[in-house]
Amino acid sequence: MARKNANAEPERTEEETRVTDGDGAVVKSALVGDDLALSYPSTDGTVVDCARLDIPEGAVTALVGPNGSGKSTLLKALSDRLSPDEGDVQVLGDDLDSFGKKELARKLGVLSQENDSLESISVEDLTYHGRYPYRGFFDGTTAEDREAVERALDLAGIDHLRDAELGQLSGGQKQLAWIAMVLAQETDVLLLDEPTTFLDLYHQFRVLETIRQLNEREGVTVAVVLHDISQAARFADYLVAMDDGELYDWGPPEEVVTEQLLADVFGVEATVEYEPELQVLPRRALPDDRT
Amino acid sequence: MGSSETVATPTSIEDRRGWFTRTLALFCLGCTAITVASGLAQVTFGAYTMSVSDAWRTVFDPGVVFNLRFWNGFLLGGDLPEMSPEIVVVWTLRLPRVFVGIIAGASLAVSGAVFQAVTRNELASPFVLGVSSGAGFAVLMTLVLFTGLAPFLPLIAAAGGAAAFLLVYAIAWKGGTSPVRLVLAGVVVNMVFQSLQRALFFFADDIGVVQTAIAWTTGSLTGTGWEQVRIAILPASIAIVIALAGARQLNVLLLGEQTAASLGMRVERVRFLLSGVAILAASAAIAVAGIVGFFGLVVPHIVRNVVGSDYRRLMVGCLFAGPALMVSADVGARLALDTVQMPVGVVTGLVGGPYFLYLMRKQQSMGEL
Repeated sequence: MARKNANAEPERTEEETRVTDGDGAVVKSALVGDDLALSYPSTDGTVVDCARLDIPEGAVTALVGPNGSGKSTLLKALSDRLSPDEGDVQVLGDDLDSFGKKELARKLGVLSQENDSLESISVEDLTYHGRYPYRGFFDGTTAEDREAVERALDLAGIDHLRDAELGQLSGGQKQLAWIAMVLAQETDVLLLDEPTTFLDLYHQFRVLETIRQLNEREGVTVAVVLHDISQAARFADYLVAMDDGELYDWGPPEEVVTEQLLADVFGVEATVEYEPELQVLPRRALPDDRT
Repeated sequence: MGSSETVATPTSIEDRRGWFTRTLALFCLGCTAITVASGLAQVTFGAYTMSVSDAWRTVFDPGVVFNLRFWNGFLLGGDLPEMSPEIVVVWTLRLPRVFVGIIAGASLAVSGAVFQAVTRNELASPFVLGVSSGAGFAVLMTLVLFTGLAPFLPLIAAAGGAAAFLLVYAIAWKGGTSPVRLVLAGVVVNMVFQSLQRALFFFADDIGVVQTAIAWTTGSLTGTGWEQVRIAILPASIAIVIALAGARQLNVLLLGEQTAASLGMRVERVRFLLSGVAILAASAAIAVAGIVGFFGLVVPHIVRNVVGSDYRRLMVGCLFAGPALMVSADVGARLALDTVQMPVGVVTGLVGGPYFLYLMRKQQSMGEL
């Protein structure tokens, strides 16, 4: 029942940039990856080969897959940090290359994984850096900047930590501070690379709830790489399952998450329950020799 | 007092939510006090003895301070009016040396701070990244081989520094640069240029040139006057103003390359431009004071320990701490030994070396290395 490869789906053709959701309503795509072939300069061969990727506008899409399946690489290509060998990326209908750097940063926010370097910056100062794409070289902060920062701190729920230095915070609080920074960017689209990895359960929920609220209150399109398939299944409107650099399947969680997918992509035997709500119960790792 | 400070004030008082902290204000005040005290000591003591009160009266002599003809002579190189011996000693010999110290100290400190942010490496400085040795080599070439080019010394120093840094950048470039590769390339380029500098000594035909050359490569303020102030003040001021204005860019760079890029910064371009500014500042200092070792490395560290690592504060702190340290070290260099004046670089090296060791012992990890 699992579709082997979403690329083969007949209803999506080159010209058609619209996809339909479960109810048949037309959903616009905020981000589109077309015929993408991605590789890193330091490695040989294509890491990701993906005929068509849609991130539907106004929804939360989770990219899932095992380590090394190309989720983060794909996210890099979508956020202009890796230029594709082939194919192109469209942001809100326009080609990625047609945006200026700052212009893009006002449309598309990215939270990468590397955020551990700074210790002595205050949460508020960090959040203000989110306003970078709105300011010129000699510009000070405007009332608008201040409002955006206040909103971001409020939405991330770290208003009380604004004067704390990053070095004094727990991993989860730090992550919320970084999220406040990208929120202050006030973008239409937000890409997050494994924002919940290494966090305790409480802060995992805090991060996900913040993202969800942002999506619901401000209609921001979110694409998020998540490690945990059961978390992703509960949290996201759409799932994109990656396997070995290719798009394995795409769609609402109820359609995508199957026992077959868990076996094929994640290499685990699992029970998937659809009632009363979608639940993944992993049982054991499948033997390695499956191909 | 120094013109480098006056350019700083507009950038530092504008602006938002209290990043200009009490600590920073006190730090700057303290540094200014040290600068003024050392400057007055420098002016008072020396071979031509005068009483402290005489010296001070001369420094604040309204007949000089408010006389445009004097300033025309000092800053633009016009003819100077008739002067008493005190005025000659204070205003044409000792005071300009203090001003050169202020300019060189501020430029080197700011330059080091910029390099540390641009490379995201606490060990970076104009010295480590090859700029000093490149500029030093260019200066030596001029002194020894192309003596006719001496009037263009600052330009030549800047060109040498820029060339060396470009070389370092090119060696370290591999689809982007990394802090570790930059420092390693810097060490190599440094070594090459220092060998070249030594080789040049053999082409010097009289001992005076060699001595000048040694003073150059150690860093010395001996014999500097208004001419050096005139040479350095413009490039130093420009570089410092841009560096101060760029403090926020440096802060964003410190967030990491990927984050900076996702905020819409053209990372390589900003890095390159700010490096250019730092080279300009370092070259201005080198052109008048030679290669004052360790200065660009140590001062930002001292300031960081006091005011924190926010570059808006750090830059302002460096602007005040650099002159304080340079001028007080120069007092030591000039007056410590009765018989001979030491190059100021000897003093800063003697202070900077142990401090560097202390940093290495104290810090668990040094920068990105």
